[in-house]
Amino acid sequence: MSKVQVMNGNMAAAIGAAMCRPDIIAAYPITPQTPIVEYLADFVIDGKLDASVSEVESELSAMSVVTGASLAGSRVFTASASQGLSLMYEPYFRASTLRLPVVMAVANREMISPQTLWGGPQDTLSVRDAGWLQIYCEDNQEILDTMIMAFRLAEDKNVLLPINVCFDGFYLSHMAERVEIPEQEDVDAFVPKYVPEHIKLDPKKPMAVDPLTNGYLLAEYRLKHMMAQQNALKLIDEIDEEYEKKFGRSYGGAIEEYKCEDADYIIVTMGSMTGVAKDRVDAARAAGKKVGLVKVRIVRPFPGDKIANALKNCKAFGVVDRNVSFGWNTGIIYEEVCAAMFRNNLLIPNVPFIAGLGGEDVTGEHFDYAIDTVIAQEGNADKHYTVWLNREDKGI
Amino acid sequence: MNQRETIELLARSEDQISPGISACVGCNVELTLRTCMQVMGPNTIFAIPPGCMGGVGVVGWDKQSGAKIPVFFPLLDNPASMLAGIKMHYDRIGEDVNVVAFAGDGASVDCGFQALSGAAERGDKIIYICYDNEGYMNTGYQRSGSTTKGAWTSTTPVSKDGRGGKKQNKKDMPMIMAMHDLPYMATMSPAFIPDMVTKLEKAKAVKSGLVYLHVYNPCVTGWGFKSDESIELCRLSVETNYAPLFEVENGKFTLNRSLDNPKPLADFIKRFKKFRHLGDEEIAALQELCDSKAERLKNLASL
Repeated sequence: MSKVQVMNGNMAAAIGAAMCRPDIIAAYPITPQTPIVEYLADFVIDGKLDASVSEVESELSAMSVVTGASLAGSRVFTASASQGLSLMYEPYFRASTLRLPVVMAVANREMISPQTLWGGPQDTLSVRDAGWLQIYCEDNQEILDTMIMAFRLAEDKNVLLPINVCFDGFYLSHMAERVEIPEQEDVDAFVPKYVPEHIKLDPKKPMAVDPLTNGYLLAEYRLKHMMAQQNALKLIDEIDEEYEKKFGRSYGGAIEEYKCEDADYIIVTMGSMTGVAKDRVDAARAAGKKVGLVKVRIVRPFPGDKIANALKNCKAFGVVDRNVSFGWNTGIIYEEVCAAMFRNNLLIPNVPFIAGLGGEDVTGEHFDYAIDTVIAQEGNADKHYTVWLNREDKGI
Repeated sequence: MNQRETIELLARSEDQISPGISACVGCNVELTLRTCMQVMGPNTIFAIPPGCMGGVGVVGWDKQSGAKIPVFFPLLDNPASMLAGIKMHYDRIGEDVNVVAFAGDGASVDCGFQALSGAAERGDKIIYICYDNEGYMNTGYQRSGSTTKGAWTSTTPVSKDGRGGKKQNKKDMPMIMAMHDLPYMATMSPAFIPDMVTKLEKAKAVKSGLVYLHVYNPCVTGWGFKSDESIELCRLSVETNYAPLFEVENGKFTLNRSLDNPKPLADFIKRFKKFRHLGDEEIAALQELCDSKAERLKNLASL
C-alpha cells in the first residue's frame, strides 16, 4: 500500500529523488527550488536518507561536485533554477558530453531582466541543446513519479545522459496537492543500483578522461550522444508502461494525448498550465466543439514524430508557450512542433500563442480564447501572428 | 624527512607522467609535476585544468593518456569542486585515494578561486597544488591576479618609452589560503626538491581537510630567460625572499629557510625580459613590499 500525503512540488521532487537513494547530493539555494535542498538535508539528518551532502558555495560547484562524484561512480542528484542553472552552464554542458547520468530537478523560473523570480521554463528551454534529457511535469504526483523514472532513464546503458525533471516554479514548487508515495521496496526494484562501466576515475583501473580530442573523434562522440538521445525517446514510453504496471500511474511517456482521437482542433501545452487547458477542452467538448490536447512531456529528445502523429488528422492546432524564442517571434515549443510537422509532410493551419510569462496566470478564459482562435484558423493557409494571451486583460 | 630520505623516496617511486609530453625546453613546471605525482604515487586521481600542463598533453591526446594514473581535464573554474565530488565518493565507499589538483595560477587565483575557497572552507579532503608562473602562459602570457606589479604581459603591454606593465600588486595566494584555517598549507620550489618531497609527504598524511601547496615557477618562455637558468632562477626567487619557503600547519607558521640576509630582489628581477623596462624606483618599491611581507612572515612564524 502506498501512502498518501498532501505536499508541494518541491517535496514531491525531494521524496522522489530520495527514494532513488542518491549517494551524493550537492545543491545551492535559489528561489523557488530552495526547499528541495532543505528537505533533503532534513532527510539525511533524520536518518531517512543515507547520502553525502555538499553545501556548495555556488551552482557552478553544485554541478561540478555531482559530475565529479558521478565520474567516480556515485549516483548523484542536484537541483536548481533560472540564474543558478545559468551559472552552471559550463559544467552543465559537460555533464552531458561526459555522458554522466546526473539527475537534476528544476523548479522552472523566468530569466532576468527585468528582475523576476516567478515561474516559467525559459531557463531550461534556453539550454535545451546542451545534450541533457528534459522532462516537464504537470502536477506534483507527476513530479514524484517522473523523478523515479528519470533515474531509470538516465542510467540506462543505452542512454547514459543527465536529465532535468522540470516543473513550474510556485505553481507546482510551492502548491500543495494530494500525492501518493510508493513503497520503497518497489522503487528499489524499479531503479537498480548504478554501476558505471563507460567512464570511471579509479586508481585500480586508470583512465584518462577528456584528453585533447581531434574533430574526427569528437564527431564520433556527438553521433553516439545523438543516438543515445533517440534511444531515450523509445525508452521513455517503455519505462512509462512499466511504471504503470508497477505503480498504477501512466503519463503517456513522451507526450500525453487528451481527447485527440477524433479531435478537429488540438491545443499543445506543456507543464502546469495543462490542467486548466484540459478543463477548457472538456468545456469546449460540452459545447459541441471537437477539441483535444497534446501535452509535451519530454522536450529533449523532442518527440516530433509522436506529436505529428497526434496532430495529423486535425484541421487546425495551436501551441501555447510559456516562454519566448527570441528571433522567431514565437514560443520555443511552437517552432519545434512546426519543424516536426514539416518533417512529417504535414501542413496544417496553426496558431502560435505566448502566455503566462513571468509566472502570470494562464486562465480558463485564455484557453477559451485560444481554442476559438484555433477553430477560426481552420482552412486558413496564411501564417497567423503570435497571439499574446495575457496582454489585454492587464491593460498593456 | 632528511635530504637522503627524500632522494631515496624519489629513487624508488615511479614517474607517473608520460615521458613524451611537450613542455617548453627548461620548463620547471614539468619537473614540479613529475616530482609531485611521483610522491603522490599510483593510488592517486589527479586533475589538470586548462593551462600549460593540460596543453602539453598530460591528460593525453585522442585515445592516449598522458599519465599512468587516472587523470582528467576539469574546467578552468572548477577543479576544486569537481575533485571534491570524486573524494566524497571514495570517502563514502571507504577507500583512501589521493585526489589532487595540479592547476596554474589562472585556474587557482582567478577563475577557479571561488570553487577553491569554497572547498577549503568546507574541508573537502583534496590536495590542491598551484603552479604559479604569474599568468596565462598557455594562451601566450596574459596577466593574471598572480602577476607581479610592473610586469610586461601581452595584456599589460609596455610602450617603446617604457610605460605600461601591470599596475597592481600580485595576489598573495599562499597567505590567502593559509587564512582559510587549512590543516596544511605550504609553499614549494623546484629548486628545493627535498623540501618539496617532505611537504608532499605531509600533504598525503592529512585526512582532515583541504591541503593547499603553492609552487613558484618562473616561466622560460613567458618571462624571457634562458632554459638552462630555470632552476637557478627558481632558487633565486627563494633566496631573495620573493617566494619564501614556509608552511602553515593548523595555524602554526614555520619558516623552512631563514628569511635573514636575503639577496637583493633586483638580482632576481633584472634577470627577466618582462621586467626590463622597470626603473630603480619601481624595483625599490617591489623590494619594499618584499621586505614588509618577509617581516610579517617572520612575525607570524614567531607566534
